[in-house]
Amino acid sequence: MDVALSRNGRIALRALFVLVVLFLYLPIAILLIFSFNNSELPAFPLSGFTLHWYHQFLTNADLKAALQTSAIIAAISSVGAVVLGVLASVALTRRRIRGRAAVSALLLSPLVIPYVVFGISLLLLFHTIGIPRSILTVVIGHIVISLPYTILVLVPRLEQIDVSLEEAAYDLGASRLRTFRSITLPLIVPAVVSAFLIAFTTSFDEYAVASFVVGTRTTFPIYLYSALRFPNQLPQVIAVAVVVITLSLIVVVAAEVGRRVAEERLGSLENAG
Amino acid sequence: MAARRERLRLDLTTPTLLGLPVAWLVVFFIVPIAIVAAYSFDVYSLFPGKHGFTLAAWREFVHSSIYLKLFWKSVKMSLTVSAIIVVLAYPLAYYLALSGTKRKYVLLLVLIAPFLTSYLLRVLAWKVILGDQGVINTFLFWTGLRSPGHPISQLLYSRFAVMLVLGYVWLPFVALPIFVSLESLDRGLLEAASDLGASRLQAFRRVTLPLSLPGIMAAFLFVFIPTLGEFVTPSLVGGANGYMYGNQIVDLFGTGFPDWETGSVLAIFLFGVVTVLTVVFTRFLQPRRVATD
Repeated sequence: MDVALSRNGRIALRALFVLVVLFLYLPIAILLIFSFNNSELPAFPLSGFTLHWYHQFLTNADLKAALQTSAIIAAISSVGAVVLGVLASVALTRRRIRGRAAVSALLLSPLVIPYVVFGISLLLLFHTIGIPRSILTVVIGHIVISLPYTILVLVPRLEQIDVSLEEAAYDLGASRLRTFRSITLPLIVPAVVSAFLIAFTTSFDEYAVASFVVGTRTTFPIYLYSALRFPNQLPQVIAVAVVVITLSLIVVVAAEVGRRVAEERLGSLENAG
Repeated sequence: MAARRERLRLDLTTPTLLGLPVAWLVVFFIVPIAIVAAYSFDVYSLFPGKHGFTLAAWREFVHSSIYLKLFWKSVKMSLTVSAIIVVLAYPLAYYLALSGTKRKYVLLLVLIAPFLTSYLLRVLAWKVILGDQGVINTFLFWTGLRSPGHPISQLLYSRFAVMLVLGYVWLPFVALPIFVSLESLDRGLLEAASDLGASRLQAFRRVTLPLSLPGIMAAFLFVFIPTLGEFVTPSLVGGANGYMYGNQIVDLFGTGFPDWETGSVLAIFLFGVVTVLTVVFTRFLQPRRVATD
């Protein structure tokens, strides 16, 4: 007898799972369908196939500029967040820290702040010390938001690695920095990559905080938000939506699969050694 | 283990490692919140002129029923959303973690993937679906189930729309902490319960549910906090009925009639409530974690 689920229970839960997945993907599928629909209005009945909306957004200069701005911000802020995240995670897993609970609470605290509060706090900070809003101010905010996510990805991986490998290198005369570079870093590369991707997508998609501290160069989410208010822009926004959602789904799946494969390989290497 | 680790502590000192991340958060996270607090007491002000420490804005906030009523309305909305999706996500996580399906990580990824795609675009999907001229209504006109010109107009720009979209957006994420807590559950405990004569339901109530409580609490908190301060979704699909506390804060800092002092009071109040909740919940979870270890 299965102790967790009866036969009927299993069937019922599987049915519920399928229903929820349908509920989650149906709206995305609807966007996909209407992105090819030959009508200004996303409405039934469907009126014919067109690639017009895709063509329109490809030639939209504002949109491309916004995508570019977001890519720059996401690239800088994710590198920043990963660097800070690696430093903090190594300290949390390899050192004895006085006031450890307080330190890790501080490092993870951005996870539990409503973004409206954080956005306004940053706005008031920059206003009070007189820093004009720009790409840089958005980057600063996004590093704060992404940092805890990178730590949540990196710490479990660092805990997995056998400390004796690092001890061996150290005993053989490698400095701490050298040990980190030659032993620790290669072993956590998959986790570093997925931390980077999480930070990148978080920043690329972030609207709430950016809306308070953005300068004259609009980010992609801010462009989207304003486009949502103009019905005539809706079809091409839907087309962009389809492209962005598809791309991010591919990146997410590839990253996760890649991380698992890489960590399995590293795992077998570790055990062999 | 700890003793062995201690030998490793030489160069790359702890201050070197922790200095930057901690400093970053202090300067760009803690200090800014302190500045908001300063604005709420009128120590700083948007307008130049004479000002100093005063509790006026706080007094006004406590006595005016508008803001607190709006806060209570937002609490009820996000409480409802969080409770519903935690209850909905639990059986899904249970199925993935305990049914013994071989593809549990693939299925988990299928469930969570939408959460990792654009937030605004998922809200946009519902705008397209729920509008007066949207997918549902035009589908009803087209099939003759409703006469054109009489759409179901409560679908969009309502409290219902806000709660539906928030639930849709957060549901995949909620399953994750519950899954983690159920997956780390020792199946031997369930077998022991079964050997001792417990039915599945009894085993669930006495073993599985209590042990997955930390996951449930974490899931709940991770949805309740961001939805309580939400302003993007209500501004896109909420209309006047779906207006939330977060929208009020944004409007007080907006371009029309900015009132940073009152806005700061509202923001600090929300921050305080959320902090207290987080501290209480983590305290509540800690002893259980020790017990399960």
